[in-house]
Amino acid sequence: MTATSEQIRRVKVRPNYDHVAWKWMRYSALLLIPLVWFHVILQDVIVGVHTMDLDYVAQRWANIGWRVYDALLLGFAMAHGMNGVRQVANDFIKGERARTIMSWALFIFWLAITAIGAAALIGGVRQDFPLN
Amino acid sequence: MSTLKTTLTGYTGYRGREGHYAFLLHRITGLGTVLFLVIHIIDIALVYLSPKGFLDVVALYQTTLFGIGEIALVFCVFFHGINGLRIAYFDMFKPANWSIETERNSTRITLIATLILWLPATFFMARNILIHNYGLFGG
Repeated sequence: MTATSEQIRRVKVRPNYDHVAWKWMRYSALLLIPLVWFHVILQDVIVGVHTMDLDYVAQRWANIGWRVYDALLLGFAMAHGMNGVRQVANDFIKGERARTIMSWALFIFWLAITAIGAAALIGGVRQDFPLN
Repeated sequence: MSTLKTTLTGYTGYRGREGHYAFLLHRITGLGTVLFLVIHIIDIALVYLSPKGFLDVVALYQTTLFGIGEIALVFCVFFHGINGLRIAYFDMFKPANWSIETERNSTRITLIATLILWLPATFFMARNILIHNYGLFGG
């Protein structure tokens, strides 16, 4: 029995909220790299904003696969982004109470924007709207 | 207010060279991307909430000013992704690389990889703007 000081102590720590959030930042990041890059290359570079119109969106969303793709983008990108904003805000806001208010405000904002996006994703392009 | 000043002084005063610049760029590109993401979710939601409004927004996006913003956005997306991969790779496989001395090289590689993806994309996006907004290249 020698060199007890060299023994590595391993302690199990119960993961807290930020531990879980950090892990999901990594998981969502790995998923977002192919999802977002392909989305950006396809829509901004190959298709381009100059050929964008209601027909394009309607045709794209006629395919359930693209709706699932966009739902993944909406869910993961917005959550990743909002948690990122929370982490940046934590650098500037030090008070316990102020951080709680900021976290809840961001959570409600995230929920509202995601709900708006989900409504459009489910509703699709509204055809009965008088365009002229 | 003092917290804001302390943090900003830390952001600008810390002399971590390349790793420090990568950290700042990661924040800036991330915040830039999430800002557009929020706008983008709302503008796409207009196809359901107000199709006429969607067409107005698309017309705005087709202007040269927003075209330049789009090119900047694509840089943000590529840099944030590649730098994120670098961070995850160091954390998992090369924790010894987390030092001021060793970050110069990896940050440089991150920037070069970003440019390799971004410059061709910029070429096509700039070409689109010149074709549609200025009638060049037979537009």
